[in-house]
Amino acid sequence: MASRLKRSLLHPIPYLFSDRAGLFITKLWSKRLIEELYGKVTDKFLELLLGGMDLAFCLSKGYRKNIKGFEGRYLFTTADHLVAAGATFRDGDMKVHKEAMDDWDICITFKDAAALNAFIFSRDQDILDSLLKNDVELDGNLNYIYKFGFMARDLGHRLGVA
Amino acid sequence: MPQITLNDLSLKDYNLTGRVSNLKKIYFRAMPEICIERPRLITRFSLENGLFDQERISILDKARLYRYVLENRAPIVRHSRSYEKGMKPFEFKENSLFAGSTTSKFKGVPLYPEFAIALTLWPELWTISKRASNPLHITDAEVKELNYKIFPHWMEHNILEIARKRCFEENWKRYKRKKYAPEIKLFEQLVFFIASKAGCISHTIPEFSRAIKVGLRGIIDEAKEKEAETSDSSQKKFYTAMSEVLEGIIAHSRNLATKAEEMADQEANPTLKKELLDIAKVNRRVPEFPARTFREGLTTVWTCWVAIHTENRNFALSPGRMDQFLYDLYRQDIDNGAIDIRDAIELLCCLWLKIGDHVPTIPDTAEQLFGGTGSNQAITIGGVDKDGNDAVNDLTYVVLRAIELMKLRDPNPNARYYPGINSGDYLRQLCAVNINTGAIPAIHNDKAVIKALTAKGETIEQARDYGVIGCVEPGSNGRSYGHSAAILLNLTSALELTLFNGRHRHTGMDVVISKETGDPTTFTTFEEFKAAFEEQARWLIEQVTTLNNILGRVHQDFYPTPILSALFEGPMEKGKDLIQGGATINSSGATIIGLADVADSLSAIQRVVFEEKLPFPDLLDAIEKNFEGYDALQMRLMNPEKTPKYGNEDQVADANVSWIVELLDRAFGEKMNYRGGHYRVGYWTMTNHAGFGRLMKATPNGRKAGENFTSGITPVSGVTPYLTKALNSVAGLPARCLSSGIALNLKYTPEDGDKEKMLDNFVASVEGYFDDADGQRDGGMEIQFIIADHNTLAKAVEHPEEYSELLVRVSGYTAYFKDLNPQMQKEIIDRTEYRLSTGKMVPFDPFPLPKKRS
Repeated sequence: MASRLKRSLLHPIPYLFSDRAGLFITKLWSKRLIEELYGKVTDKFLELLLGGMDLAFCLSKGYRKNIKGFEGRYLFTTADHLVAAGATFRDGDMKVHKEAMDDWDICITFKDAAALNAFIFSRDQDILDSLLKNDVELDGNLNYIYKFGFMARDLGHRLGVA
Repeated sequence: MPQITLNDLSLKDYNLTGRVSNLKKIYFRAMPEICIERPRLITRFSLENGLFDQERISILDKARLYRYVLENRAPIVRHSRSYEKGMKPFEFKENSLFAGSTTSKFKGVPLYPEFAIALTLWPELWTISKRASNPLHITDAEVKELNYKIFPHWMEHNILEIARKRCFEENWKRYKRKKYAPEIKLFEQLVFFIASKAGCISHTIPEFSRAIKVGLRGIIDEAKEKEAETSDSSQKKFYTAMSEVLEGIIAHSRNLATKAEEMADQEANPTLKKELLDIAKVNRRVPEFPARTFREGLTTVWTCWVAIHTENRNFALSPGRMDQFLYDLYRQDIDNGAIDIRDAIELLCCLWLKIGDHVPTIPDTAEQLFGGTGSNQAITIGGVDKDGNDAVNDLTYVVLRAIELMKLRDPNPNARYYPGINSGDYLRQLCAVNINTGAIPAIHNDKAVIKALTAKGETIEQARDYGVIGCVEPGSNGRSYGHSAAILLNLTSALELTLFNGRHRHTGMDVVISKETGDPTTFTTFEEFKAAFEEQARWLIEQVTTLNNILGRVHQDFYPTPILSALFEGPMEKGKDLIQGGATINSSGATIIGLADVADSLSAIQRVVFEEKLPFPDLLDAIEKNFEGYDALQMRLMNPEKTPKYGNEDQVADANVSWIVELLDRAFGEKMNYRGGHYRVGYWTMTNHAGFGRLMKATPNGRKAGENFTSGITPVSGVTPYLTKALNSVAGLPARCLSSGIALNLKYTPEDGDKEKMLDNFVASVEGYFDDADGQRDGGMEIQFIIADHNTLAKAVEHPEEYSELLVRVSGYTAYFKDLNPQMQKEIIDRTEYRLSTGKMVPFDPFPLPKKRS
């Protein structure tokens, strides 16, 4: 996740360079995320995903268009509450929190990182299997997870890894 | 009573014309494409007119919105481009006799973002054209427009989220619990029920005969008169809204006419030029003014059909009794030589392709659970008229021939037959077409259906004039607003909650989902178990009807239906929109999934636990372990000679089925819907018996975890060796409890030898099933067939490209076998197959679950 300092340094990049350059940097800095999309998923997956998205929003004007005017609060948690992370979208920006929040639009409770990965990224029956196995449970406005799903896949699409 | 003047009822000398063959070829080649024209226009209008800011949307605003869409959508007279397998573009020359299309695409997927389904596509927009199951074409530009400009506006403004917000607010006031909406939660847990109003209402039959006879201008004039007469402001608004939308339909038709004239100007070929000018002439005339010819009548229906889909999601809107309301125009044109039978068939075939020019939005997950469906637009032929006279006419046979020649999934053909009033020749022809097409039409027993509808308060005239909606649901033609698929209830969840004292293995055994009705292992009688089951079933019914009514009230506040209301019996007289209860008949429908599995489970518990004293904990342990280590018990539970099974004229088993259908009819019938009508119950399952089957663990009837439930009202596959017994068990159920329709799915082996003999036996099986045994029973209400053997279907799994037009009846609707998900394909292959010449089941080994497509 980009720190405040890092964010203020990164923000001008898309205005100085092309979108492609921004995505190139995102791809370089998101190596671990890409590895996890293709290979073994670790407990760091959610952090890497949110971090990758955050970075891409900073570096790519095209990708940032996804959150123009968008407000949304996401809570990701495991059933045992050992893992919790929040993502807030506001004023064309994304903020990632490490703590649970009370007031969310959608709460995504997942069994483990692999289940979350399968739910968000996998095509065909993996989403169904997540639901069948109760690997992922959703509360709140489901349209927020649909939008999040698009943004996550759009990131993969833009990075050429989806 | 119309005279049959045809010499040959089969009309076998009439075949597809060159025009129709060409169109059909293109139709099967083209892949469905997502169309964003409608969401684009409704989003734009809603933004420009502040509709997103309103607490509720008035019928006038809604009418202006639809008029705007109708006036501004592209008038497409001829499509020329689509995409084929592999999403490769191809070009063609369309030469239909009708102009316009439901969407801007040749075969389109219209989106309705105000309802719950469209936005579920959002995550898969980049991949939907490549998904394994029924891919849908979409361009990059369309993906971007949906993502940036359309979908974001509907995140908070679609029905499910409005309902959720209302539940949150209500429950906060009541229980001080934040974000608490238990009914919606149950719905989203997938295993209990589907509340379809989140997706749409649609399921109904409009009333076309007035539009045909007086034209939309005539209806507008009447609305204006009523508006002038009334002092009630809400009625005034309703009549104004009605006029608004009808002007919109007229404008769309004129735009099509203008476009056709422009194209004619550019056309060098004199034949094509004349065809375009003919289209222009017809579309200038109708639907604004009364139809004077058969073609104008069909164009009225078609143009209104497109408009109705502008307002209502493309799911199970049904054209109704086409052989009745178009008969006068047909007869007149035939008698005066304006057309001949060949022309009439060609017109109908062109219309069929138009009616089937769209498919519903199905996200990938739903494809896997419930995929393969079309838009389920049922057409109805035959039966009796309002006075109880034989209504079968020449046009009935002409429509039937068009059905036979086209063999399409949509429209979904249904035939009515009144034993003793309709002729034996007519029934024979219906059976012959079933053999020839392998799947259509479904056949409905008028006597039983009319009995069922009158038991629910319809007058005898209204009941006699029923048409079939969606899959198999009967509804009085043009006057019954019944949302027959409002509720899809997984009955096996009621059984699960009974077996585990209010808990459900899918949602976790540490949570009490419903109420604790007692540990079943402590029950000493079967009656105690039944009482607990009844309590759980009633609890589920309470939850789902509550949610249906919550969603219904959101429909009332946000989704008035002025277009459908203008083409319906009741709203004009009452000055009230359909959604507010304007129809002559108001009801809601619930259909039940898992009847046979639950009934057989009850019978198993009765026999094995309470009579033969197998300890209940052993049975529970067996189903928890998915019968692992309990092979002998499972075999015993599956054996109809040892454990009573519905479909064998077994008194215990049949009594349990009857008890369940009586219970559900009572429990649902006690509930009122949001329009002041009652709930009706049906037993047709579409593909939900496969979908829900996948979600549920093992059941006491010997079914293993994840296996399909049995379709519709059909007995469980493989446990009913004799056709006659299976038919008699179903025919013995009380029709009054089945008023929202049933699907009895049978598979007959094609017999290559003596085809006439096969046809004789086929007819005899239907007659026997429909027979009411001199009032001793009601007789079967509906029956539908697949005429294909195990091997053919197995080959179609392996080589789908060779069986692209293989049509099957699923459980209600008709589908192309290749489009069904693997689970559903397996269900169809494993369905009990009977050889008519012996009346016995053809032995089979269960088919392995087909591999996922990639």
